Amino acid sequence: MDGKAEVAAGLVAGSSAGIKAHSRVSYWKAVQSRFGILRGCLAGAAAVALMTFVAFRLNLNLSTAGFLYLVTVVMIAVVWGFWEASVTSLIAVNCLNYFFVPPVLTWVVADPQNWIALATFEITALTVSRLSTRVKGQAMAEARQRAQVEKLYELSRRILLLDRRQNIGAQIVALIQEIFQTESVALFDATLAHLDVTGSEAGDLEVLARDAYLLDRPLEGAGGRGWAHVLRLGSKPAGAIALRGPQLDRLAMEPIASLAAIALERARSFEKESRAEAGRQTEQLRTAVLDALAHAFKTPLTVIRTASSGLLEGGRLSSDDVELASLIDEQAEHLNRLTSKLLQMARIDAAEVRLRRERLSVLALIENVLARYREQLHGRRVSVSDDASRLEVHGDREMLTMALGQFIDNASRYSTPASPISVAAEETLGEIIVTVHNEGPPIRPADRERIFERFYRAEESRHRAPGTGLGLSIAKKAAEAHGGRTWVVSEERAGTTFFFALPRGIRRQFDAVARQGSDS
Amino acid sequence: MPSHGKVLIVDDEISIRRALHNTLHGMGFDVDDASTGEAALQLVREVAYDVMLLDINMPGIGGIRACREIRRSQPRLGILMLTVRDSEEDKVAALDAGADDYITKPFNIRELAARIRAALRRSFISRADPDAVVRIGNIELDPPRRLVRKGGEPVHLTPKEFDLLHYLMAHAGLPITHARLLHVVWGPEYGGELEYLRTFVRQLRKKLEDDPADPAYLLTDSHIGYRFAEAKPEPVGENA
Repeated sequence: MDGKAEVAAGLVAGSSAGIKAHSRVSYWKAVQSRFGILRGCLAGAAAVALMTFVAFRLNLNLSTAGFLYLVTVVMIAVVWGFWEASVTSLIAVNCLNYFFVPPVLTWVVADPQNWIALATFEITALTVSRLSTRVKGQAMAEARQRAQVEKLYELSRRILLLDRRQNIGAQIVALIQEIFQTESVALFDATLAHLDVTGSEAGDLEVLARDAYLLDRPLEGAGGRGWAHVLRLGSKPAGAIALRGPQLDRLAMEPIASLAAIALERARSFEKESRAEAGRQTEQLRTAVLDALAHAFKTPLTVIRTASSGLLEGGRLSSDDVELASLIDEQAEHLNRLTSKLLQMARIDAAEVRLRRERLSVLALIENVLARYREQLHGRRVSVSDDASRLEVHGDREMLTMALGQFIDNASRYSTPASPISVAAEETLGEIIVTVHNEGPPIRPADRERIFERFYRAEESRHRAPGTGLGLSIAKKAAEAHGGRTWVVSEERAGTTFFFALPRGIRRQFDAVARQGSDS
Repeated sequence: MPSHGKVLIVDDEISIRRALHNTLHGMGFDVDDASTGEAALQLVREVAYDVMLLDINMPGIGGIRACREIRRSQPRLGILMLTVRDSEEDKVAALDAGADDYITKPFNIRELAARIRAALRRSFISRADPDAVVRIGNIELDPPRRLVRKGGEPVHLTPKEFDLLHYLMAHAGLPITHARLLHVVWGPEYGGELEYLRTFVRQLRKKLEDDPADPAYLLTDSHIGYRFAEAKPEPVGENA
């Protein structure tokens, strides 16, 4: 019984207990009706009058009449409450004295024993009404608790059914308003810096919600008007919710806030998911468009090259014709390279959406790039540092091959003919750096940044070798897509070195692979 | 002029068929063409071709599926896939479907002719004695005696290195995927151990190549596999 009383009191007042419990009870009573006490007293008086009439007509004795009055007082206590019952008991004790204590129909109490009887009656009446009022209060608290739990359950159920395509905050406040019959609700979403409000006079609730978020603790509005609770996603505050309403329980704030936070989190992850899905679809579309473009450009180029190289192979051309057919062949190939690079560029732009990362041995990567440029590099000495064999990167194979390929392509074009090219890889604290070094005239300081720009070609190189002005910008884009960077160091005597740096992957993975590599 | 072989061109683009038809015919091949994979399936049943050029990207059943179907009935037909996209996935898929080689459009006709010849040779080799001595450049491989010579000097190889080299040399000029090499040399349970294969290829290069960093025989096919050079490599530092 005591335990239950505690639960009830707790529910009514929260953990801060006692004093607030009383204020809650009187508040609740006042709300019931301002004339409630008066009405109860009048009803009590009427009931006592009726009892007196009946008992007097039936000529009941003092003790029987006393019991009848007691029943009346208890009834009033159960129906109206303690204060009404107290007033009723006072009227009843007076009636008892006047009508039933001999000498009847006087206020005189002849026998002192009857004083004891009257006092006992009054004490019993007061005690019983106090107890019955308390029991009733507990029953009501329990009923309200049950109602509260039912409402929370309803909220939790309906919060799952919110339309995730609509503004979730507005739906949450509307739902709380509907279920808890609040005056007003304000929900502050800190991520979006957005407020959703419903109900009347919500201005101070908006402030309350914002303050609760900023102070990161639950708040009570001025004069007990409303509460605010912080919304948490994980351990981070993500906003706050503020409520005000007569049927609202302070204790319900926390579960309401948790449910609202869950709804927000669900909406967030759904949004993320659909953004990723949209990104994937965009990428698919871009890939399809790029494939179609590749096909559209490469088909005529294939025909031209087949025809031009076919003419040259046929061996039936005059020397002038050979010259002309060679020109067609070379230029078709140049156009082909330009097309390929433009398509690569477009692919890299598209790949910002998603990289297909995998673990890659740096040495294998370099070997594969060199194999691709084998013809172009023919007759060159290309050395690869030993360090490359124990290094690993976590990246998109196609893009990294493309990027390093641009460096190799660049080195083979702009270096001193037949001079050696060296490729090295090293590991610094946070990066894996691949370098491509070649001998040859230095790049002017003013050009060292700009050569990585799209379509930029340094003044001298325009005359030295055919190029597209795209290669290095592709390398740069590819590095950046991996969170890495590219740069160049160029000097007259030391030659030119291009750097391609990628942030180092997960240490553990790298170690595992390095071990595997050295085992085999 | 005697025919160099019977070639079937399969491509949905008529201009490409025309250009290839005329050029290859001019180079001494007998040429037929088809515009779909379905038509090609029909044709190979009726005519004995030596080599087929098969476009990967075609409407209908497409090049890869056509290749798989045709390979089932024509184990000796040389199949060369034509692809526009420079994508390793496509190439590996083509080789897995049974193609002998691939070539990326647009291509130089001389290179195409070289690939055709390599494919023709493969269909010849597969008919020949598997124990025949293979000589490419200054490398000589003698299967029955399990002996390898470079410029006449014996080279010591471990058994696995020998098997790997034997397989690559028997398919000289053609790309062999990583997975296939692992499968053939190490057994069916192997397939993903790329680093393992790379280590062996590195060892082989050290033993066979003049400059292991710039191999002349044991070539890397970028992200696909390895390919043993088919013809005698250019006489760079060669003492033969």
